[in-house]
Parts: sequence; C-alpha cells; structure tokens
Amino acid sequence: MKAFEYVSPSSAEVAVKALDGVDAAPLSGGTDLISRMKDLVTSPKRVVYLKDISAIAGVSGDAASGLTIGAETTLAALLSSKVVKESYPALWQAASEVGTPQIKNMATVGGNLCQRPRCWYYRAGFGLLPTKDGKNMVREGDNRYHAIFHTDGDALFVSPSSLAAPLIALGATATILGPKGERTIPVASLYQIPKKADDRELTIAANEIVTKVTVPAAKGKNASYEARQKAAHDWPLVMASVNLDLDGNTVKSASVIVYGVAPVPYRAEAAEKAITGKAVNAESAAAAGDAAVQGAKPLSDNGYKIPLTKSVVKRALLAAVGNRYWEEG
Amino acid sequence: MADLDQKPKVGASRRDFLRGSGIAAATAVITGPAVASLDEAKAAEPEYKVVADTVTLKLQVNGKELSTEIEPRCTLLDTLRNRLDVTGPKRVCDRASCGACTVIIDGATVYSCTTLAIACQGKKVETVESFDTGPTGVPHAFVQHDGLMCGYCTPGFVTACKSLLDRNPNPTLDEVRKGVDGNICRCGTYIGVLEAALAAAKAMKGA
Repeated sequence: MKAFEYVSPSSAEVAVKALDGVDAAPLSGGTDLISRMKDLVTSPKRVVYLKDISAIAGVSGDAASGLTIGAETTLAALLSSKVVKESYPALWQAASEVGTPQIKNMATVGGNLCQRPRCWYYRAGFGLLPTKDGKNMVREGDNRYHAIFHTDGDALFVSPSSLAAPLIALGATATILGPKGERTIPVASLYQIPKKADDRELTIAANEIVTKVTVPAAKGKNASYEARQKAAHDWPLVMASVNLDLDGNTVKSASVIVYGVAPVPYRAEAAEKAITGKAVNAESAAAAGDAAVQGAKPLSDNGYKIPLTKSVVKRALLAAVGNRYWEEG
Repeated sequence: MADLDQKPKVGASRRDFLRGSGIAAATAVITGPAVASLDEAKAAEPEYKVVADTVTLKLQVNGKELSTEIEPRCTLLDTLRNRLDVTGPKRVCDRASCGACTVIIDGATVYSCTTLAIACQGKKVETVESFDTGPTGVPHAFVQHDGLMCGYCTPGFVTACKSLLDRNPNPTLDEVRKGVDGNICRCGTYIGVLEAALAAAKAMKGA
C-alpha cells in the first residue's frame, strides 16, 4: 500500500472539509478500502477516518415513526437493534448474512452502501469497464458472478451492497453531506450505471459522504431471501428484498429489489406488477418470480442466475408473509 | 516524527504558523498588506490535523501500555508483530478473509490485517497471548480436542472462540459455527475446533 496522509476528524462537517480539494478517500471499517489500497487499485493521497465520528453512528426511532441509521453504525450494532430485527426483517436478514463476525464488528452501514464493486476485473486494476483490444474483458472472460440485466452496455459488474436492496425496498433515503451542504436522496439514487471509463457507479462525489439513512415507518410485511454459493463468508449470488403493503391478504403495492443481477440494485417491476392485487401464495409468488427475469440477458457463464432469481424472488415474497416452506423438514 | 497531539505538519493553525515562523511572520502581521492575507489565512484555517509522517502510537496491549513509531499506512497486525513483538496474531491472507490475524479491540473481534494501527490510538487490544491457559481456558480445550494441525490459524480461532464465549457463555453448536465463521483452517480441523469451543464453555461453567 502506498503512503498516505491521515485525518481523523471530529465531525462530519470537518470530514467533508478534509475530503475536499485533495485526492482523498473516506475510510470506515476498512474492509473494502484497505484491501483496494493494498492491491494498488486505489491509492489516495489522503485517508479521512469516519468511524470515530460518534454523531453519525447509532440506530434511533421505532417502527411507527421510522428509523434513523447513522452511516457509521457497525453491522454488529445494526443487528443488535431489536426494532430492526422485529419490524425491518428485510434489512436484518440481509445484514445478518454479510461477512463474518469480525467484518460485522468492523464494517459500517455507510461503508456497505458505498463499497466499490467486487468484480474481479475491477479488483485486478482493469477498471469498472474493463477493455482489452477493444473487447469487453467481462463479456469475453469469466463472468460467472456478473450481471444478467443491463448487459447491453459495458458495465457488467454487480452492485455489491447487500444493504442497498432492503433499504430501497423499504423506501429509505440517504442523507449526503458535501462542501455545498446537505441533501437527501432515495437510496436507489446513490447508484448509476457508468458509461465512460472514468464514471463512478456511485452518484455521490468523492468529496461527499453519506451521513445517515432514514427508513420510513414499517407498514405491511418485508423480507429478504438470498442464495449463496457456500454458507460461510461470501456475498450472495442473488438476493431479493421485498416490501409489501397489504390490504388484508391482498397486496396493495409491492417493492421487489434484486441484488446480484445488475450494475445497480435492480427493481423487478414486472414482479411487482405480477404480485399486486393478489394474495401471496406459492402460485402467485412463483408467477412473480418468473416475471422478475423478464428482459434478462445473461452472459456466457451466468445463465444460472435466471432460475436463481426466480427462486429468490418467490421465496422472499413467501417469507414476507411467514411461509418459509423450505425450512420445514 | 510527530506525536498525534503535536502540531500538524500540513495546514498548521494560525497560532502555530506565527509561533513556527518567528519574527519574520510576526513582523509581517504588523505591516499593512499582510493584514488581508492574515484574514484569508484565518478563513482557511483547517479544523483538523493531518498526519503526513510517522507518529507515536500508544496502545493498551494485553493490559500493558506499548508505544512505537508508525506511518499512517501501517496495519495493526504489522505493527503488533513487527514493531511491538506481539506475534500471536498471524499474517496469512492479509485481506480480511482468513481470520488468522484476529484480535479483540474494545471487546469486539476484528481483522488486524485490515485495521489501520493509527485508528487504534489509545484503544485496548487483546491478543491470544493474554488468554488463560489453565484447564478452564480456550487454549487448553484446543489441546484436549485436537483443534489444530499445522497451527497457523489457531491463534485466530482461539481468539474468535474466546470472544464468542465472553458474549455467549452457553452457545449451541450452530452458534459456535457462526462464531468462527470468520476463520479458515486449511488443514480442516473444524470438528476439533467446534468440540473445543463447546468443551471450553462447559469447563468455564464448571469453574
């Protein structure tokens, strides 16, 4: 890792000043940035440490009025929140499968949302749109963990944040602090599909930080379900987070967000449409799962994500209404 | 070399600027044209310290206060092993994946290979060296239950188990599995590790 200068500011406002005007990177738990610095994928001149800023850490609020989650809240602290576990299971379930006990102690909510893609071409220093001899290295190479949606472009990595999917499904907003002040945007608007080599997949500027996430009051039912290659320490292959507004047993409106299938957290509108107006049961959930893959164009090695996406959407919908048939003997 | 508490190297405060640059600067303040630039300097006065060089790091390691010189880029693991001669935590993957470097900071396990030492200034670090090696300790249970082969992952596993039992003295097998989820043993002694953790929990209750 290359040498850098280090700032440990006392507040988010000071942190933004320290990030401004230099090639600087914000550091939280370090589980992403420090590995990127060791691999020389990122070599900032300055590192600004955010994790000791207690004013932007911690979970407050309740299910009736909504939650405020400080960006520097560790995943371990998020998981120890009773209200998250009981009223926002989509978020709790997704967080509980992130990393390892050590990573949960280190990693933060803001860091999880702003981690850079885990695409092995990006991590090997080829950038977000890796190209060689005019050809896309992902399309030509090993793309087993890459996108199946938006694959007409050159950005074929998958958005890496496990918390983005449930937070978007729950209608959460992110508060961004920068040199020009504070603004609040939907969590979905944190992400974009890069078109040019120097575009970022994050919409926030390098001198801006996420200070908190605000989750609206918990209405209806929500759940996440993920499929993974192995039980231990990995990102999901595909995960679905759903939030259902119910009228009795009938779905009035639904959010279905899928992780692991696109360069941004993917809203499966066809699945949302398919389940709206229906009661959630094995049949309607399976139909919504089938609808979720409409428009998917897998790459050479990741066609398996089609049946996986159908299944995780189906199971997330059923889990939301308390049907976890796959756990029964 | 600069202590974290000393004046910053870059972006010195107005007071430090005056103190540091002595008479020349002080004289300039009195002269007319310099007044405007002093106001500008005040407006641009940074509210943060920039550590650009080596600093003195103080850590509470296993109850002892240890101190050394580090650069901001030094990891906690390399600082412990190479500067402070605390060699229990091992460097294996160096990428927050294998768990051999696990230490306990302020009661929570972390990967020391992926933690900056400078971010641990003044914090309490516990490593495997400090654990009770008597019959009710985790290390003893690892010996009794063949929880190791080559031994390189063992300090990390012992630390993860100790931390788990500190928080949950009565874990189920499933909870032990989750508790050591962040550690990898390439020899594959997982069965021994799980048995050792459960045995240590039992021994601690009997103690």
